[in-house]
Amino acid sequence: MRTVEELIELANAHLGTALAPADAERELTELAGWDSVHLLRLIGLLEQVLDRPVPVDAVLQARSLRDIWSAAVTA
Amino acid sequence: MPDRDPAPAPGAALRTLHARGRLAAEYPAVRELLAAADRDTLDFAGRVLAPLDPEEVLAHHPDTPVVRVAVTGRGTVGELVPALTAQLARHGILARTRVCGSGGYLGDLADPNSPLYAHRPEVTLCVLDPLTVWDTVEVPWQPLEVSVAAERRRKVLGELAQLHAASAPRGATLVLNTVPLLRRFTHQLTSLAQRAELGGLWKQFNADLLHMARPSAGLAVLDLEPVTSAGVRADEPRLGTYAEAHCTADLLTHYAREAAHLIRGLRGEAKKCLVLDLDGTLWDGVLAEDGPEGVTAAGTLRGAAFGAFQLTVKQLAAQGVLLAVCSRNDAEAVRRALAEHPEFPLRPDDFATVVAGWGSKAEGVRTVAERLGLAPEAVVFADDTPFERESVRAGVPGAAVVELDAEPALHTERLLADGWFDTPALTDEDRLRPVRYARRAARVSSEAASADHRAFLATLELRVEISPAREHELARLAQLTLRTNRFNLTGQRLSAEQVRQRAAAPGAAVLAVRAADRFGDEGVVGAVLARIDGNRLRVENLLLSCRVLGRGVEEAVLAGLLAAAREAGLTAVHAVWRPTRANAAVRTLCPRHGFRTVTGPGAGPKAPPGSGTAAGPAAGARAGSDREDGAETGVQTGRGTGAATGAESRAPGEVRFEHPLRTLPPVPGHITLRLRLTGEPAQPTADGTEVGACAPSRS
Repeated sequence: MRTVEELIELANAHLGTALAPADAERELTELAGWDSVHLLRLIGLLEQVLDRPVPVDAVLQARSLRDIWSAAVTA
Repeated sequence: MPDRDPAPAPGAALRTLHARGRLAAEYPAVRELLAAADRDTLDFAGRVLAPLDPEEVLAHHPDTPVVRVAVTGRGTVGELVPALTAQLARHGILARTRVCGSGGYLGDLADPNSPLYAHRPEVTLCVLDPLTVWDTVEVPWQPLEVSVAAERRRKVLGELAQLHAASAPRGATLVLNTVPLLRRFTHQLTSLAQRAELGGLWKQFNADLLHMARPSAGLAVLDLEPVTSAGVRADEPRLGTYAEAHCTADLLTHYAREAAHLIRGLRGEAKKCLVLDLDGTLWDGVLAEDGPEGVTAAGTLRGAAFGAFQLTVKQLAAQGVLLAVCSRNDAEAVRRALAEHPEFPLRPDDFATVVAGWGSKAEGVRTVAERLGLAPEAVVFADDTPFERESVRAGVPGAAVVELDAEPALHTERLLADGWFDTPALTDEDRLRPVRYARRAARVSSEAASADHRAFLATLELRVEISPAREHELARLAQLTLRTNRFNLTGQRLSAEQVRQRAAAPGAAVLAVRAADRFGDEGVVGAVLARIDGNRLRVENLLLSCRVLGRGVEEAVLAGLLAAAREAGLTAVHAVWRPTRANAAVRTLCPRHGFRTVTGPGAGPKAPPGSGTAAGPAAGARAGSDREDGAETGVQTGRGTGAATGAESRAPGEVRFEHPLRTLPPVPGHITLRLRLTGEPAQPTADGTEVGACAPSRS
């Protein structure tokens, strides 16, 4: 996974969300249809795709999709 | 981005529906798509179905069965909702789910004014995560401290169950679960002796929880040990530590699957019949090639695996699951193969019916259902051939299809992966069902041999006895309300406890209908739920097992009731019909017996005024649980003492009837009827029909 856009694609494909690349910087709380259950599931999806553990504490504290991507991918 | 696997057909179709915003509009298709869905598709389905507004689905499909579910628990349990939504959708049930305060199950269940009770749940899932009990144990601890904390928690849970019974709608069920014991706790003890002690006391805690279960009376306990022992990890330490989400998604997915079957069972939607393929399913070999003598279910390694599977099937049959064969083979070859292998655990008379021929399996399954008088969706079909499974999936909507494959050693696990036959409690009737259906088959062939139906009936020596249900019959009556779909005037579902409460109410006439003929005793085949209200008999529901239909029993029941009411000095009998998915045929039952249709308030079987114990016809939570129209009114009126208010409001499509008891229909001549409204013995009448003249106490 090289870009935050791929993370957004991953979420849309498995969570049924309709996120756009422009949503990458927005606060998670402002994203339509996003909730904490999505975040828990996304952690599992990221670990499957990356085939390695992600820093769960950092991802849980992320405030935007880009934060999640940074925490998960650049860790 | 690599997708983990190519989307299978159901997944792709589901994604298309979601992308087009058509999930609500095409909700019935979702059930079909999920029937064969893999794990990822079910996961995706849960994510996109959970946010769907149930009202939107109902606006498109008002007939969709609905269940109101409250979810609470220790820790974060929101992750359960998508999984549960998908599992229920798989059974065609629409969930109205409310997730209550995270971790606050004590407050949710103890406070009658909590949001949980405001949701009016029919089922409350209280998820006990692996930190249950441990959240009150202080370091340093010994097994004794854990034992005390566990016992204290169990008592609290028992009290919460009582509070739930008092505050949730009547007939609601609270679901608890056993608590997995984590290695990260056991191994904090270094002494092997103490570790064993901890293991023992924890199992005792779980055993005590399981012993509290009374699924027919509002408390169910899911045993998670079989789930974890099958390899499902219980806890997620990272999400537990950082997000209070201690259960793994995997555990919650399995929990949801079990809970959905429990909900189906509570609603009386347990499947009734297991239809089995033969070649590669029940035995090793191909009958058409190897011949009747060449197929095996013993004697070889592979054969023995089939034999073990047959034993599992036999075990299910012993609990009332009807067995049938659907095979693409010559009927004679099948008959010989079944008859000529005494070493097979399953014998020819274990099967209620055998369909063998060269038609499609979908056709075969429908024939089985027809012969046994079952709805096709009451069937589970198991086959090792994908083509045959697809044929049944496509041709018999609603039937469950079990995917077996070329490995017979896995047949048992695959058959039991879903609890299709799960039911709150077994009755004696269940154990005897296969014998009774076999007799039914004997009657059918005897009828076929008889030139005329009336002459056939006359030879049956049919005896029908109707009288107040005895204590040991109450569970059977509840089961009839759950399992009977066609001959069911209102579709109202009742638990054994609710039947008991009704029978104990003043003026109640909760009657069991028993039948016997020269082929044998049928036991309790029907129920009359009625009540004396002033000088009227109000029939709140009337149910008869499909097994006895077509023999005049229904005519005898109605004629007998009317006669008994007149003998008791009453002036009218009232009844009501409410449409359900399956009872259209009994809409005309009352008019055919001299009832007139009435309009206006107060004509139907209203609930006893001010009664908080005897449920009115629309009062039980189960009443509306599987019926779109009753889902709301049923639960609303079921709360507190509001039953009487609900009685005056009619359910959509409801029709009320009244019989003025002037001209009574006759009891069919081939039936000897004994009917008592109360426990006192009846006086024989001139025509040999006995009808009890005693009215129930009106105290």
